[in-house]
Amino acid sequence: MPAGVTPQATSERRPADRQAARRAAGASLGRRRLTNRLAWIAGALCLALVAIPVLSVIWGVVGRAVGNWHWNVLTTDTAGNGGGLLNGIEGTLVVMFGVAVITGVIGIAGGLYLGEYLPADRGQILRGASEVLSGVPSIVLGYVGYVVLVVQFHWGYSLAAALIVLSILVVPYVTKTTEVAIRGVPTAYREGAEALGMRSGYTLRKLVLRPALPGIATGLIVALAIAVGETAPLLFTAGFSNKAPTGQLTHSPIGYLTYLVYTYFNVPAASAHALAADAALVLLVIVLLLIVIARVLVSMTQRYSPDRRQRVGRAPT
Amino acid sequence: MTADDRTTMVAEPPLVAGDEAQRADARQTSDIPPQAQTGGPTGAGTAPPAQPGGSGPGGGSPSGPASPWWRAERLMPRALRGVAFLPLVALVLILAALVWKAMPAIRYNGFGFFTRSVWNLGGSYSPIVTTNGIRHPQGATYGALPLIVGTLQSSVIALVLAVPIGIGTALIVVEKLPARLSSGVGFFLEVLAGIPSVVYGLWGALTLGPFLAHDIAQPIANVMPNVPVLNFFRGEGPNNSAGNGNGLLVSGVVLAIMILPIIAATTRDLLRQVPRPTVEGAVALGMTDAEAVRAVTLPWVRAGVIGASVLGLGRALGETIALAMVSGGSPGHIATSLYGAMTTIAATIVTQLDSAFNDVSGLAVSVMAELGLVLLVITVLANAGARWLVRRVSTTALPVGRGV
Amino acid sequence: MSTRRPRSLTGSTISLPTDTVHRGRRRAARSVVVLAGVALLAAACGSSKAPPSSSPSTSPSTTSAVSLSSLENWPTTAVSLQETGSSLLFPLFNLWVQQIAKDWPSVTVQTASTGSGAGVTAAETGTANIGASDAYLAPAAVQQYPDLENIPLAISAQQVSYNIPGLSAITHVKLSGKVLAGIYQGTITNWDNAKITALNPGVKIPSLTIVPIHRVESSGDTFLFTSFLSASDPSGWTIAPDTTVTWPNVPGALTAMGNGGMVTTCQNTPGCVAYIGISYLKQATTAGLGYAALQNKAGHFEAPSPASITAEADSFTASTPSSGTVSMIYGSQSDGYPIVNYEYAIVPTKQPSALAAQAVKAVLAWAIDPTGGAASTYLGQVGFVALPTAVQSISTRLISKVSS
Repeated sequence: MPAGVTPQATSERRPADRQAARRAAGASLGRRRLTNRLAWIAGALCLALVAIPVLSVIWGVVGRAVGNWHWNVLTTDTAGNGGGLLNGIEGTLVVMFGVAVITGVIGIAGGLYLGEYLPADRGQILRGASEVLSGVPSIVLGYVGYVVLVVQFHWGYSLAAALIVLSILVVPYVTKTTEVAIRGVPTAYREGAEALGMRSGYTLRKLVLRPALPGIATGLIVALAIAVGETAPLLFTAGFSNKAPTGQLTHSPIGYLTYLVYTYFNVPAASAHALAADAALVLLVIVLLLIVIARVLVSMTQRYSPDRRQRVGRAPT
Repeated sequence: MTADDRTTMVAEPPLVAGDEAQRADARQTSDIPPQAQTGGPTGAGTAPPAQPGGSGPGGGSPSGPASPWWRAERLMPRALRGVAFLPLVALVLILAALVWKAMPAIRYNGFGFFTRSVWNLGGSYSPIVTTNGIRHPQGATYGALPLIVGTLQSSVIALVLAVPIGIGTALIVVEKLPARLSSGVGFFLEVLAGIPSVVYGLWGALTLGPFLAHDIAQPIANVMPNVPVLNFFRGEGPNNSAGNGNGLLVSGVVLAIMILPIIAATTRDLLRQVPRPTVEGAVALGMTDAEAVRAVTLPWVRAGVIGASVLGLGRALGETIALAMVSGGSPGHIATSLYGAMTTIAATIVTQLDSAFNDVSGLAVSVMAELGLVLLVITVLANAGARWLVRRVSTTALPVGRGV
Repeated sequence: MSTRRPRSLTGSTISLPTDTVHRGRRRAARSVVVLAGVALLAAACGSSKAPPSSSPSTSPSTTSAVSLSSLENWPTTAVSLQETGSSLLFPLFNLWVQQIAKDWPSVTVQTASTGSGAGVTAAETGTANIGASDAYLAPAAVQQYPDLENIPLAISAQQVSYNIPGLSAITHVKLSGKVLAGIYQGTITNWDNAKITALNPGVKIPSLTIVPIHRVESSGDTFLFTSFLSASDPSGWTIAPDTTVTWPNVPGALTAMGNGGMVTTCQNTPGCVAYIGISYLKQATTAGLGYAALQNKAGHFEAPSPASITAEADSFTASTPSSGTVSMIYGSQSDGYPIVNYEYAIVPTKQPSALAAQAVKAVLAWAIDPTGGAASTYLGQVGFVALPTAVQSISTRLISKVSS
């Protein structure tokens, strides 16, 4: 496709239409019907190829974990080649909470600035930086966190290093979703509020942030799901601890679930394999919960969004 | 046209939200004293009384220009601006740290870093020597070629598998499935995107790997002739072994599953933007719907789909932990077979960083930074390219980060 | 933390008094000799001259002044220690830690199996109080981090495991260093190779491709194994022993993470051969892996057993210097197993606090105490052997140097 040609123009000008029409005229109706059916069967096959891995992953993990599931893995700490997940769950929750607070403040504030105070055509450097940051591989962040925070700053494996690295990882996501959510609030609201002489801060809180809140929360929750599932950056910043988090920000490693999966899956002991599977199951449950919450929030927003009407109007026959 | 649609939709607020706004307006009119409406907040009592569930430090208390809330309100844009710059600052600091750390390695390795296939940390038990002003263990030679090749190989396999499947899924979802089912598929895609990569690694190592090796790879390897190109599909070694399940193929398949949701979800969103009348027109002219998809829908979204694929590529290139679990390789080895052990830049960093600190000259740690820099450049280019492609053709922004 | 030793991650040299540097160099040269596998020479060298201790301030006369029990002064204030490193020592440390948690609840020791390289790194960078390693510190590391010492904790060995289906579990395939070097160089690729069958008359070895497995991360086991290859086949195996080496490219060769990964990978790979620490022998046997009888310098084939390990280690007691640094590979003992080593705790003598120092001393002293952690109830479970009295007193003196 030559540069600068819009898709609309292309589809009108492209010879593909004419070719297809000519082919359509030439081929027998039966053959075309068959091709049509085969094409959609191929599509359905694709759908199956998406579904099978999801089911296989879930079944593989759940099957492995449920087979010899003991509830006490949730209440005991990791010890030796086995034990429980309590330290990992506690650590993961602490990390989640910390990431939620940091990215909640930084991501939402940044998104608010980009969405509310900057015109859409300005701030491209900020948006660009966010997008570049979102593309930085997590292991690179882990490297920098390890070399700079853990080693150079003498923080040791610590919650602080883990939180900083994970927050950098997901802040672009929260910024973006916040900006999109805020831009989704009709300008008419603000104009109306201004016409009525309402103070800008009040407008922001009541008329902009409130309708945008589900969108923002969704972004934050998805960001948390991403953070919970990270391993590589945590390996080099959080270290690992088979005790509950101490509450110290530095010089105190912290346990987390992904470490247990990564490390214990190839320890040649049945107890270790079981622990890795259990940790994976708990991770899946946490992530699924977060996704479900995010979806509920999205459906709440969509009830009021123009998008939904559009889609309903376009529902295939 | 699509953009116009959107603006119209936005300009005309939906009913329910409009109701709420009206209610809020009504409340407001009665709440706000006259002077606030005419001249802004000049007198006492301008702050509206706290709404039920309302928040904010100024709520309910009299506040003038000198009140903290008023001051905070005026400072707000500036404070937000400062915070908005944090990602940029972080990015600059990360780059600076990487470049600073990588400098010795860049100077020591030279351009040969990209052409050599040797990965030799040098003797940690032999004395440290100095070459060109860089201290290094004797015999240290680094070549990233196998890592770069491995990274590209696995990512390309992932793309080859994920792009057609992703497009097919998106087409089915948009064109054929009823709304309820298609939202179910959307949920599936979100789950697929949300599953932690370490869980994919676990699944790849314990379930997928052995299955592929025994039931798929070995039979293929057995029938493939030993001729150029096709011998890539043969096994390794004299017995034509397709390995034990760790290697290039498994890595590619796991990566494909990980990037599927990005491609499928973005394509789905793009397909929804294709103007209906054009497609319906094609059908009205006598095309079957598959033909209409080929002739109208796909060309419409092509650039966007390429963008989404490149974004998926960016994700595949940077994936770390799953590949560390299933790639089965070590640096310095280019896979000569589809089933052979290999490794990627990211997996090498994660498995070698601890060991790198054993090199007391610091060169190995520096080499890790150089690897990180190479990876960063590749992925950022892929990301930027993807966004540029999609922006050119569509109002749909690509998903940011690792989510859908 | 202000008392932490000076260190450099940017590769700059720590300035040392010149005499220390010279001594370091001389020691470095000697270690290279040891590593070259000329064990006899090393033994002679070690026993004839009083080896310099790593710290000139401590003279051998203080040896008698320190008793184990005086070091086992357990703190009563709660303190948490980090131990990380060697996956070979990990199972033993876990047994110890459980007992310590029971007897001295105020002392918490966190253990992690990350590989010897990571253990040394953690001690160097201060991310752990105790780093565990199967390999002693490299001379360059000693020079760079003069505050680090390697304290022998127990005697370990390394078995060569293999997965040959159909071979009876009680058979120990006889292998020599030369054959193993051939396997890891890719010149011997099948189990029924004449060089292997010649060593094993009467044993029916099937035709099966050999899959050599090596460690992906920096590992003391790799150091021990490559030391054995160098020592037993000096002309054939030219790669210097190290914790990470550039392995010859053998088609189909695999890598694994940690000793656990070696067992798991070998279990999944018929035909594999893997070097695995003795503390994983039980798990390897349970996984269906056999282990080889290795040819020692006297020409005898010995399987690892408490008797053959003790015999070998005892022959090195006299040559163990006060720094604890000695290679015990391929000794001349006729009934000794040829791959034996001290398991080291790599400990910074400057601990972050007095409390941590006290706890580290107590833990380590208890660990080598025959009435404590060195009792056969612990060591026997992992196939280790307790230190001879002479080495135990060397360790005791090293432990006593830990302070804050």
